[in-house]
Amino acid sequence: MSKALDLITRVRGVRGAMLVSAEDGLVVAEQLMEGIKGGAVAALAASLAGRLRRAMEAAGTGTSVFWHLQAEQGAILVVPGDATGGILVVAVAEPDVNIGLVRLELLRAAEAAI
Amino acid sequence: MSPQTRAVESWTLQPLTDFVREASVRLVLVLTPAGQVLAQSGFSRAVDVMSASALAAAIVASTGELARQLRQQPFAALSHQGPKTGFFLATFVTDRGTLVVLAVYDLDVSSLGLVQLFYEQLAADLKAATPKGAVPKQVLAADFERELTDSLNTLFGR
Amino acid sequence: MADDIRALSAQLAQDPQSLVFLRLGEALRRKGQLDAAMRVATNGLERHPHLADAHDLYARILTDKHDYERAFDEWDMAVRIAPHHTGALKGLAFLYFKVGDLAQAEAHLEQARKVEPDDPSIDQAIAMMRKGTAPPAPTAATAESAPALASAPSATATTAAFDEARVFAGLEGAHEGLLLIDGAGRVLGGALKNGAGADVTDTVAAYLAGVSQEAARTAKLLGLGAWMGLSAEGQHGNVHLAHPTPQALLLVVRERGMPLGRLAILAQRATAMARRWLEKQ
Repeated sequence: MSKALDLITRVRGVRGAMLVSAEDGLVVAEQLMEGIKGGAVAALAASLAGRLRRAMEAAGTGTSVFWHLQAEQGAILVVPGDATGGILVVAVAEPDVNIGLVRLELLRAAEAAI
Repeated sequence: MSPQTRAVESWTLQPLTDFVREASVRLVLVLTPAGQVLAQSGFSRAVDVMSASALAAAIVASTGELARQLRQQPFAALSHQGPKTGFFLATFVTDRGTLVVLAVYDLDVSSLGLVQLFYEQLAADLKAATPKGAVPKQVLAADFERELTDSLNTLFGR
Repeated sequence: MADDIRALSAQLAQDPQSLVFLRLGEALRRKGQLDAAMRVATNGLERHPHLADAHDLYARILTDKHDYERAFDEWDMAVRIAPHHTGALKGLAFLYFKVGDLAQAEAHLEQARKVEPDDPSIDQAIAMMRKGTAPPAPTAATAESAPALASAPSATATTAAFDEARVFAGLEGAHEGLLLIDGAGRVLGGALKNGAGADVTDTVAAYLAGVSQEAARTAKLLGLGAWMGLSAEGQHGNVHLAHPTPQALLLVVRERGMPLGRLAILAQRATAMARRWLEKQ
């Protein structure tokens, strides 16, 4: 599992990768650069994932397989836990990161996590 | 300020109000290990505050004793989760002595991760807001009932 | 009224996931059929446990049944889900007044006034309470003025002045895959349909405000600055959420085949149109 996280963090611009329990919002495994608060990322990403899931189900798009929050000074990229037994795969990245590449590594890590 | 939040000791009010808002918890008590309530949020009946504070104090005492027998530091936090609701019980030390926080949350709107995250902030804020030089007050059995009645009156705005 | 109830029941039977239960429950409550209203509300709550309006409806029914303690819990839950839910704030004010806690009653009404400064019923309630008269019971007040009751006429009345159809005029999917809402989850323009062609505008709008609040908090607390957009790939469709102004939210939904990058470009165009439209209002 640490190898999968390692592959995510090797992508240029990624500052950390984690596995998070979707239900509890707690860290399962993490590989983070200094200064990133793993507990906060886990709790907030899980909470946002839950709210987004409800909205997407209501919209008829089904549960999400990948989402990406873009902010001025960074981004959060997530493969939600529905396909991975309730585990979210999360990356924290710089704002100009290659989203496509991170998405691929997150999906690979999610497969490894099942 | 959340209208459902009340404090016997006013310095606890703002940190508790922030915690309730951020962690989306349903019920919170801040109390001493003796069961003396300093602030509450979300309770609508005095009797619920009385029983919840007594039970929380008992849990802190029994887990503290268990830790002592295992020659460990007292447990920092305890969490239980049911199908719809969870509760979180934790202690921390301030200038006023040890304080206990009991938080009850609905799994629909919050999570253990969120409660833990904002509990850390609550503990830090309460430590910072504790009146300097405050001495933990001993509650004598003779004063207990009067203290309890006074506290409950304040907590329910009577 | 009986015809209304029959029609609403038929609509709900046809589409049990829809928010028609809010109108049906309210209609039954007003007719005094409280047990039937209760069944409709609890069934609705089971399907939409995170919908503040559902908790608000249930609280009103409980109030009619004089079960004030549970009504308090339901309104309290509604406010936790949607802190600006004026119906729930007014309901809590009413219950606080009933137990003689005037300060709390007034604090809740003041909160409601901050959200709906133009609602005369709130000023009236505050004035009546100060005179020592009971503010209007939520049975009447919230039912008639609850602005967040997504399917109720009031929700559309607040936006009636806007010409919804023209917000995204000329943009593909303006009536089925584009939605503009305000910060309280009320629809300003556009519409959404799910894969089966059912209108899901109000349901999605009600959930989006919570998504936006959480996105803003996540970005802020993690030191990422302001959030700019949220893209998501679903099993059957992709979505992009943006905010054309600090108070408004825009959702673009497209089929799964449209890549997220293209969706983001489409969302940028829709955002610009929505911003211009909002500035004109």
